[in-house]
Amino acid sequence: MKRVVAVALNTFRETIRDRILGVIILFALAMIVASLWLASISLGQEARMIKDFGLLAISLFGLIVAAFVAASLVRKEVEKRTVFVIFSKPVSRSEFIWGKFLGLAATMFVVLMAMTVFLFVLAWIVARPPAGSLLVAGLLVYLQLLVVMAMTMLFSTVTSAVLASVWGICVYCAGQLSHNVLSLSRLGHSGVTHSLSKVVFYVVPNLSAIDVRGAVVGEGAIRHASILAWSGYLVAYLVVVLFAATWIFARKEF
Amino acid sequence: MRAAVRDAQMTEQPQTTTTRRREELGARTLEVRDLRKTVAVGFRRRKVEILRGVDLEVREGDVFGLLGPNGAGKTTTLKVVLGLMRPTSGSVTLGVDGLGELGYLPENPYFYDYLTGTEFLRFCARLFSLDGQERERRIAAILDEVGLERAAGVQLRKYSKGMLQRIGIAQALINEPRFVLLDEPMTGLDPIGRVEVKDIIQRLHERGTTVLFNSHILSDVAALCTRIAIMRDGRVLWQGAVDDALASVPGADLERFFMEVVAS
Repeated sequence: MKRVVAVALNTFRETIRDRILGVIILFALAMIVASLWLASISLGQEARMIKDFGLLAISLFGLIVAAFVAASLVRKEVEKRTVFVIFSKPVSRSEFIWGKFLGLAATMFVVLMAMTVFLFVLAWIVARPPAGSLLVAGLLVYLQLLVVMAMTMLFSTVTSAVLASVWGICVYCAGQLSHNVLSLSRLGHSGVTHSLSKVVFYVVPNLSAIDVRGAVVGEGAIRHASILAWSGYLVAYLVVVLFAATWIFARKEF
Repeated sequence: MRAAVRDAQMTEQPQTTTTRRREELGARTLEVRDLRKTVAVGFRRRKVEILRGVDLEVREGDVFGLLGPNGAGKTTTLKVVLGLMRPTSGSVTLGVDGLGELGYLPENPYFYDYLTGTEFLRFCARLFSLDGQERERRIAAILDEVGLERAAGVQLRKYSKGMLQRIGIAQALINEPRFVLLDEPMTGLDPIGRVEVKDIIQRLHERGTTVLFNSHILSDVAALCTRIAIMRDGRVLWQGAVDDALASVPGADLERFFMEVVAS
């Protein structure tokens, strides 16, 4: 466990000191501020526009961090040969993978919470009273991105960093749509399409199940029991993905 | 059990090696027997045999020089010993308690740019589960040993090649290992850097630490090593005491001995 924490701490330091991360956060904050302009032309929908657009910005920039940083995390260690230093010490491959993931998860937490709190304060100033559901939405976006990070890390153990990032983004998109794909396939008559849709539904993580953007902007309420159950499913999903990444990485030679 | 057989840590690998106990090793720190390594290269996965039956014996307290032209298999041998690569067949037996008693400096080391010297050593110490005062004591001692106390708070990206080599040696010694493997520790260093690294190896030897290093700089090898092995094409052509090698050629010239062995 100590070694996992050591790798995680080092990864946190590495990613939090990355200048690219600072640039991404600045862009995200600028985009959240830009929602004020959209709010001003939205004819009485200011609060809704700020929350909706703000959460979209957080998801989008969070996805960029998750997909691109997670993809390079392991590959960079291999390409720059720092793995020689690490694996010549009593560190197992699984300790390395889990440490890397937890380190980036800590960075992602700081980044997402900073953006979410910024949005929360902005929404509070423009449209009182404050919407606590925004903070819940931020946490759920974080969970979605953890799954994307785990998948991207898995991909990065078998392919290049660029391809792993692209696949990670594809997983995010497919995860947002998987429920719709299943619903739409039920409307058709093709059994094959329906079966394929089912496969997609069960294989791709159902990220849309914990998307509460609609509830945050006033369309319906957050169904806590359902959110909790799907969150449990996504945590289990990412654990399985990380075990798969460990299994593949343990077979690599340097 | 004192013996640490490399393949025992790689459970997914077919059992191609033999397991030998520490008691059989006697005063040896490393024993490599008939080590073979084949890799698949290129699109057609053409098989290339990098190691073709390497036999090595490093004794306790040795400063052992592993010599050979480029592509001889020196680095691959070290990687197999460390478990970074798996052997195709053959055995590697260590006379120390696994990686916890080993230190390793890779060739042309790159470390984390964004860490300071102290942060990097603290990270390495944590990988050996070293904590608190003991960890800080060792970091201070090792920084003093490699002469980097004043650069301890500087980020590694600002280090010169020689400083990187010395911090690399520092991370290899942070666990106070009984067996140190250094891959080309003198390559790319200026004369001052070379002297500093040679002094560190000499001090390790005086303390009884077993050192194995690769080098192309034969004058350094002659000055430092007690025993050497000369490799070519994935095989060990000669191994023995440096004094024996020097005695067998006129002028006690290691370069001449090396050329004769490699050309044979």
